[in-house]
Amino acid sequence: MKELTVSSNAPGERLFVLGNEAIARGAIESGVQIAAAYPGTPSSEILETLAGVAKELDMYVEWSTNEKVAFEVALAASICGVRAMASMKHVGVNVAHDPLMTASYMGAKGGLVLLSADDPWAWSSQNEQDNRHIAEQGFIPVLEPSSVQEAKDMMADAFELSEQFRQLFMLRSVTRIGHARGDITLGEISRERRKGQFTKDRTWLNYTPREARINKPLMLERFEKIKKAVNTLPYNQLKLADGAKLGIIACGLSYSYALEAVNWLGIEDKVSVLKIGTPHPLPEELVITLLNSVKEVLVIEELDPFVELHVKAIAGEHTIPVKIHGKDLLPRIGELSTRKVTEAVAHLTKTKTPVNFASIDKLEQETAPLLPWRPPALCPGCPHRASHYAIRVASRRVAREHGKEIEPVYPGDIGCYALGYNPPQEASDTIICMGASFGIANGLAHVVNAPIVAHLGDSTFFHAGIPPLVNAVYNKANITMMILDNSATAMTGFQPHPGTGYTAMGDETVMLKPEEIARACGVKFVEVVDPFNLKEATETIEKAIRFEGPAVVVSRRLCAIIEQREKKKRKEAVVPYHVDPEKCNVKCNACIELLGCPAIIKEGTKKVIDSSLCTGCGVCAQICPYKAIVVE
Amino acid sequence: MVKEFNILITGVGGQGVILMSELLGKAAVTDGLRVRGSEILGMAVRGGSVTSAIRIGDEVYGPLIPTGKCNTLVGMEPSEVLRNISYLSKSSLVLLNTAVTTPFTVFIGESSYPSLEEILGQLSKASGSIVQLDASQLAQEAGSRLATNIVMLGALFGTEQLPIKIATIKETVKARFPAKAAPVNIKAFDLGYEACRKAIK
Repeated sequence: MKELTVSSNAPGERLFVLGNEAIARGAIESGVQIAAAYPGTPSSEILETLAGVAKELDMYVEWSTNEKVAFEVALAASICGVRAMASMKHVGVNVAHDPLMTASYMGAKGGLVLLSADDPWAWSSQNEQDNRHIAEQGFIPVLEPSSVQEAKDMMADAFELSEQFRQLFMLRSVTRIGHARGDITLGEISRERRKGQFTKDRTWLNYTPREARINKPLMLERFEKIKKAVNTLPYNQLKLADGAKLGIIACGLSYSYALEAVNWLGIEDKVSVLKIGTPHPLPEELVITLLNSVKEVLVIEELDPFVELHVKAIAGEHTIPVKIHGKDLLPRIGELSTRKVTEAVAHLTKTKTPVNFASIDKLEQETAPLLPWRPPALCPGCPHRASHYAIRVASRRVAREHGKEIEPVYPGDIGCYALGYNPPQEASDTIICMGASFGIANGLAHVVNAPIVAHLGDSTFFHAGIPPLVNAVYNKANITMMILDNSATAMTGFQPHPGTGYTAMGDETVMLKPEEIARACGVKFVEVVDPFNLKEATETIEKAIRFEGPAVVVSRRLCAIIEQREKKKRKEAVVPYHVDPEKCNVKCNACIELLGCPAIIKEGTKKVIDSSLCTGCGVCAQICPYKAIVVE
Repeated sequence: MVKEFNILITGVGGQGVILMSELLGKAAVTDGLRVRGSEILGMAVRGGSVTSAIRIGDEVYGPLIPTGKCNTLVGMEPSEVLRNISYLSKSSLVLLNTAVTTPFTVFIGESSYPSLEEILGQLSKASGSIVQLDASQLAQEAGSRLATNIVMLGALFGTEQLPIKIATIKETVKARFPAKAAPVNIKAFDLGYEACRKAIK
């Protein structure tokens, strides 16, 4: 029997998948033909899954250079009548925000779905913005799943809805949907393949002020129709309990926590529950029915009180005398949990919680001081560790000449190298958003008297690093811009990008070089170094800092994880280093304190290299003052 | 019918925590069970704390195990078990691999690592039963230290409390690895299983 996969057309069969695979499966079932994305946790596996089956299913799938381009690729397909999607993490939607706000005026021809992967508690992000606000601003209807199964179902239906209402739809996932796992029941895969056709029509495709004014009322009309329709969509469900005083309104994933909480408390027959699968627009009729049937309502949703404020507005408009709770009892920060919801519901129903949470908290607090701090670290043999070291040594050398108190500034960026803000690297002073290292450096150049060395990765450079590089040339910012080129989008799982020479679907393509782009943009100092040659790298960075005007240094070394995989494929042995105990000074801790490589461990005062972790990069051997680190 | 059975796997990035939860989930679905779960990775590619929840049963809705509701905690690393103490209750069973992975912060004096006695003492305040095994050593015996997670998976089945059939999980393990690596992993599974049986008796 052939093994069941996300591309099997086996309706009714069950498959254990990651939430993001379920979302991809939903798109596959709907017959999506075009999918574009830029990688970002927790969204990356959606496009990866689609890329893996694109040729087999006759789809076009691409990693775009950034989210704005990804969305525009999908939008173009929709304009031509083809079903299309763009997927991105929540902050990626900020990058796509510009076309998004006009796309909603345009409406959709081919089903068009934007997947926003929000990240409550910012597990892998710089903030925890709630993208329902962005959807509201653009009159974009939002589907929000409560489970992995529903994520699949909603994604499949979203294209249908988008065509039915001729409007772009957003599916809002969160980390605990996209990175949850569960069993799903598969549906039928549509094999319909449309031929895209571009029909010139300035009335909805050319946005001058005139078209903006023509199309906004049309968009509002479409939105009114959607507002009515959501009352009967299966994703919104009202279950009234006879004589219930408390009503629960639970949005998206929170519905799962609400069900568990109510079961745990054993009050299933005492509360009415309204499940919300479309937070925007809300199913007003269902909300009114619930509000009229109870004395108190608890709105359960992660992050901002989005549903809560709308429910309060509905209650106000219809003068329904009901007390509405939400963020007064549940946190606005981070993820919800069965426990948090249980406590809030127990409080309102005056029920005893089944577990004594206070005693568990006490034990946890008592345990905390015993725990070692275990931050994520750069991998053994990671070239970024060497780059950070070289950046610090070079810039401190120059800083000393500026004055005794002068500290170099290291604007950093989004990617694995962000881990270099931890000790011992401490080579990243700012992390804001994609490309901001170069942007912030531009500004610092005009206000700070110190060496400014900004760094970002290769994928980030193509994504958002080029405009600030051009800016530095144009506005004569005296900064050093480093591109830590490891030929990978490593943090999110090694997706290909314009510098890797191949596409999402595995086809070969041109390989763009950051140094050539920098030269073409008019940078006069452009050098490429190997970070594993610490002396050369340090000297070159020093020259770059001393250079009058913007300078670029590309620090190029393949990502250690990929390097190890390739070595294995080539059956090439890794030659680990080891510490010669005769030469090692037990009082010296340089290798550990300067590099923090996970392969170098301490056994008592002895330094030892774990040969199962060492990749043989040799960086530690170059910095050891006693030349005690050697190859076998 | 299984109502709710919660398994929490804890460890350090690179120890195969996620792989273990994938194997469990797949096997559970093969046996006709409903599964939900989720993992906490943070930014860890390597070296950070990792936990993964696998929840089996018809009355499970959320992806995360509620506080105090873990049935079995599979601990790949002692201090990482301690970090997740809030999931435990007196009826929880803890499987603890005694092999320590010292974080870098201990070497530079930014934090310290508790003794095994301290860890066990604290855990025993929360959980009624703790099974200790040197899974890393058993994996070495099976043929590869990399199979430590499969030793722990075997130990998990050695508790004989799981709603998944042993034949199913073994088939799932075999199918996951290339033919050459399968025997090592099956041996690792059996060693873990036996070690747990012995410890419980």
